[in-house]
Amino acid sequence: MSKPPEKGNVVSRLYQWIKDGLERTVYMGVQYTYPKRFVSPLGYLGVLTGITFLVLGITGGFLMFYYQPTLAGCGSLTCAFASIERINNTVPFGWLLRNIHYTASNAMVLLAVLHMYYQYFSGRFKIKNEVLWVTGVILGIITGVEAFSGYDLLFNQRAGLAIEIGSSLANASPLVGGTLRLATFGAGFTDFVLRLYAVHVFILPMIMIILVFVHFPRYLVFDLPVISTVVGGLFLVAAIFPVAVGIGYSPSNPQLTIPEWYLTGIYALLRTEFDKFVMGGLMPALLFLMAIVVPFVDTSKKLNWKDRPFFTALGITTIAQILITTAWGFYINPDTNLPTLARLYVDPSLYFSSMLGVTVLSFAFTYAFLRYLKAKERVRRAVAPMSPLLTKKWVFIIFLMLVGAQLALNFFAWTAALTNLNAMTLFDVGAVLITFGVIMHLYRYSQSLPF
Amino acid sequence: MDLNTTSNNNVNGAAAGKTVNVNDLTSFPPNSSWLITYPTSGDINVDSQSPDTFQKFGLIRLPTQLGGSNKDASAFVAYSKVCVHLWCSPNYDPQKSSNPTYETYQCPCHGSIYQLPTKDSQGNLIDAGKAIEGPASLQAPPTNAIPMLTLTADSSGDLWIEIPQWDPDHNGVIGYGRNFASYQDYILPIAQGKAKAPGEP
Repeated sequence: MSKPPEKGNVVSRLYQWIKDGLERTVYMGVQYTYPKRFVSPLGYLGVLTGITFLVLGITGGFLMFYYQPTLAGCGSLTCAFASIERINNTVPFGWLLRNIHYTASNAMVLLAVLHMYYQYFSGRFKIKNEVLWVTGVILGIITGVEAFSGYDLLFNQRAGLAIEIGSSLANASPLVGGTLRLATFGAGFTDFVLRLYAVHVFILPMIMIILVFVHFPRYLVFDLPVISTVVGGLFLVAAIFPVAVGIGYSPSNPQLTIPEWYLTGIYALLRTEFDKFVMGGLMPALLFLMAIVVPFVDTSKKLNWKDRPFFTALGITTIAQILITTAWGFYINPDTNLPTLARLYVDPSLYFSSMLGVTVLSFAFTYAFLRYLKAKERVRRAVAPMSPLLTKKWVFIIFLMLVGAQLALNFFAWTAALTNLNAMTLFDVGAVLITFGVIMHLYRYSQSLPF
Repeated sequence: MDLNTTSNNNVNGAAAGKTVNVNDLTSFPPNSSWLITYPTSGDINVDSQSPDTFQKFGLIRLPTQLGGSNKDASAFVAYSKVCVHLWCSPNYDPQKSSNPTYETYQCPCHGSIYQLPTKDSQGNLIDAGKAIEGPASLQAPPTNAIPMLTLTADSSGDLWIEIPQWDPDHNGVIGYGRNFASYQDYILPIAQGKAKAPGEP
């Protein structure tokens, strides 16, 4: 046992004592840095992805209390869907947890993708970070599978059809197909739901946690104001755009549904009517394979995206292609008089020519833009350093106003929770977190003010 | 004929728990469909709770133009609820029966359409269950046809299911998928023109 420090009050001595005790543990292997001033928000994307993972873990853990990964025994509905409806409508705070969990899952996929692109364009993966990059790509794939297995657990229309497509795609893999499908999905729907549950709540999160320890760099920017604001923003989005449970899945009358936005790309590929393994398996795999080999191909010493025109253009191309294929996935002809096929069919000639066209455009645009930047660089002048915006007096006044707003918001959130105004509660809690972030940032800002 | 005599193969529970009778045109009118379970547990409540599409079939009484008002088993077909493309569940849409090609059995995911039995020049019903549109129609025969149950009616008009043989020569294979390797013996002769696809005249 380490000796308690002698200086400071009780709280700081306890803090020091715990910190000393944790010195040899894995938690202290990472140097957390609390930046003295606001840096580029893009650098935080990785940490924010991790924080969303934490939010998902906490809300998901509570959702496990009430979710039933079974099908038979709940009347005309499947138990899985009935328990989701119960969480949504009956369980106290269930609505909030489910909406936070859903929005956070979308946010995590989005943040992971943005994080990858930031690292790609800034060339950070080059600084002896190949292993980090590759584990990051694997983590990204697992995040996608985790999100997929999560929304399947609802067992609504969208989930039922997604499970069937997923298991059929597994079955379609050459050589190992049947075995793979049986191993991952089991035989029949009862196995599906239980396995997806085990995969979603335990197996994949475990793999992710193990990989995260490989993926963490030694220094981690832990910027409390930004984290608080982003989590608050997540709550706001969840409150403003609450997600419906949907219609329970029943084989008697499946409806036309579109998968979640991160899977509509694959959905568009499948709707071109080419071989499903090539379209649903190999085409997405091509993108991930490209992402994995990038650090071993792009070995130049230059980091900045402006100095790597080819790889910048390649990155822009992938973004443009993902956007186009996702948009195709969302497109369904709204004319309900047409046969389903005519509404769903994605014309391959149009689809693939648009993909090729956007590739050419991306390269042309990137090279032209970089050329323009170089020309501009020559005439660039030094910008005068910014003077402080506020004095300490004004910071103090704003600080007091924010604290007042914070108290009011807390009161509103509390009353909203008492009167069962779910969306209002979530909105207010989100606003509380954002206000807290702003207060923290203002405090940090005031520390550097001269007067 | 290999007719199972246990009550499990009676087409029960299809509509309001009633045994399907081919003479009953009010409860079972032409151009309609019901969800049936095979193999059934025998308990309609257990069956209705099971979402396992591999055991679900769409029992269809054909439109009148295709002989749906006949008072025998030929008025009915039972199509698998598992699309042979990516295993989603096709639906019977009675409104599409006015269409000359009867594009009534459609899959909601990628739009495959399975044909109802149509009449050839001799007036025989042919081509039942073959995919005519969508990704399933592009699969090699016989993996482009939806598996079906063979139905038969007894003297009182009650409809029964014959014990199915799940192979391409008989009832088909539920969710063929891309399981080509297992069906090379069937696919290759058809592709080389040495044999005919099941259902072809």
